[in-house]
Amino acid sequence: MTTLISAEWIRLTSSRIWLWGGVAALASGAFIGLLALAGPENFDPPLPPLDTAEGTRVLLGLLGFLACLPALFGTAAVASEYRHGTVTTTSLFAPRRWTWLTAKLLAYTGAGLVYGFLAAAVAAAALFAAAAIDGVTLGLPVGVVLSLLARVALTMAVYTLLGVAIGALLRNQVAAMAVVGGYLYAVETALTMIPGVKALYPLLPGGATAALTGFTYLADAVAGQTGEPAVPLLSAPAGGAVLVGYALVAVAIAVLAPLRRDIT
Amino acid sequence: MIEVRGLTKTFGPVAAVTDLTFDVGPGTVTGFLGPNGAGKTTTMRMMLGLVAPGSGSVTIDGRPYRELRDPTSVVGAVLDSSGFHPAHTARDHLRLYARMGRYGSDRVARVAEVTGVSAFAHRRTRGLSTGMRQRLNLATALLGDPRVLLLDEPSNGLDPEGIAWLRRFLRDLAAQGRTILVSSHVLGEIEQTADQVVVIREGRLVTAGPLSELYGSASVLVRSPQADRLRTMLAAPTEILSSEVLRVHDLSAAEIASVAAAHGIPLQELTSERPTLEQAFLHLTGGTTP
Ligand SMILES: Nc1ncnc2c1ncn2[C@@H]1O[C@H](COP(=O)(O)OP(=O)(O)O)[C@@H](O)[C@H]1O
Ligand SMILES: [Mg+2]
Repeated sequence: MTTLISAEWIRLTSSRIWLWGGVAALASGAFIGLLALAGPENFDPPLPPLDTAEGTRVLLGLLGFLACLPALFGTAAVASEYRHGTVTTTSLFAPRRWTWLTAKLLAYTGAGLVYGFLAAAVAAAALFAAAAIDGVTLGLPVGVVLSLLARVALTMAVYTLLGVAIGALLRNQVAAMAVVGGYLYAVETALTMIPGVKALYPLLPGGATAALTGFTYLADAVAGQTGEPAVPLLSAPAGGAVLVGYALVAVAIAVLAPLRRDIT
Repeated sequence: MIEVRGLTKTFGPVAAVTDLTFDVGPGTVTGFLGPNGAGKTTTMRMMLGLVAPGSGSVTIDGRPYRELRDPTSVVGAVLDSSGFHPAHTARDHLRLYARMGRYGSDRVARVAEVTGVSAFAHRRTRGLSTGMRQRLNLATALLGDPRVLLLDEPSNGLDPEGIAWLRRFLRDLAAQGRTILVSSHVLGEIEQTADQVVVIREGRLVTAGPLSELYGSASVLVRSPQADRLRTMLAAPTEILSSEVLRVHDLSAAEIASVAAAHGIPLQELTSERPTLEQAFLHLTGGTTP
């Protein structure tokens, strides 16, 4: 298995996808810094300012919202194996298909973790720098900010795992990316507008992500619009567990489904 | 030794392969022949565990491919569908699969050298020509130094120079005592390399055996002013083509000449007729002679 994982690592690092991944991670972090510098209170609609706990949380939550990016990278990376026809050779070298799929999932989860911590580190630096420039102190203690950022980084790793699993399931690069991006950015938000489904929101991937990253602004905003009280989110560990659960189900299907599928 | 037993595969309503049974002996070069759509690719994919057979089995040295320990060190395969990541260089590709198969960097260097890949090892695969891609495919198949090689229409899309190179290369591999199964829809392509043939048509076995047995029976065209008299002297099936021309079966030209000489019969023409391999192949696979 370690051979297969290191082979996946070679596959990953010898194409330029890792470079783009790095750029996206840096850009995600820098984006948060930019927002902090502009000041959330100047947004339309205005958000709580940086020196309130709420304001800092919103910015960190926005970083969590960018967790779909590494998911898309994971999806693209696996689906490209089918798109470019390397899956034939890969299956010849590791005929038990679950082995290389598992290796891929592990390798990319690692890559997702690196991505997450890179983005979080840049975001942390940018946040503190922005606060210093604006002459304010962040609305949350440093320890809380760092732990929230670590949670965002973990979210990104779990999302990458999800993305890889979906890429392996759908095999069509464009379709897989459309499903991942479309669901996370549009479908789930739409779902939460439906009153009955809203009760399930804490258990949906987005709700679980919000619980893990501590970003409740979206749920609160929806609640504000519909005039109903916000559905309470799960605790952060429970949210994390739900998210990992989704990833594991996707992984299980991804690993089991291709076993009998013909590679033609 | 590859044993194919009762292999069957249907894709929806299409019976791609039906009850196919044949052996590929060790140390032989076997041509796997059949017109387009005969089921060659499907059969080879089933041999390699890429396509699950509807029924039947394939074993290589007694085991299905999937259960071989270090399969790529036993069997190397060159398939038309195998591709490369466009952003990888040829060397990246080899390095990656060498790692998957746990082969050292010495193997990467070696296969790149014998296949000529080293000349373009640092180029990205998106810019490689068909010939270069086929060399890279071969190099990948050879990473594990396998004693069995399966090649599915390896000369498709190659220019005459590439085809000539491939032929020489396969002959060299065969001379090293490897077992080679190479498919083609034209006999001429493997005629010079193969010693055994397996011919299929519409997913079913037509014939399997030594290449020489593909030839139809020989006949001799005889022209003589005393054709009729000669015919009665020859104890062999004979067709009368005209008053002076006979087609004699089952006797060699030398045998006919000596009978004629013994009876003082003048001969004006004695021509051995032998259908070309291509004619025999087309006849077997239901094509028409051009
Ligand atoms: N994945 C597939 N789905 C449906 N039909 C297929 C598939 N692969 C092959 N076939 C059909 O099976 C038959 C055999 O195809 P193939 O094995 O590719 O033949 P060959 O390689 O001898 O040209 C053809 O009729 C082909 O159309
Ligand atoms: Mg074919």
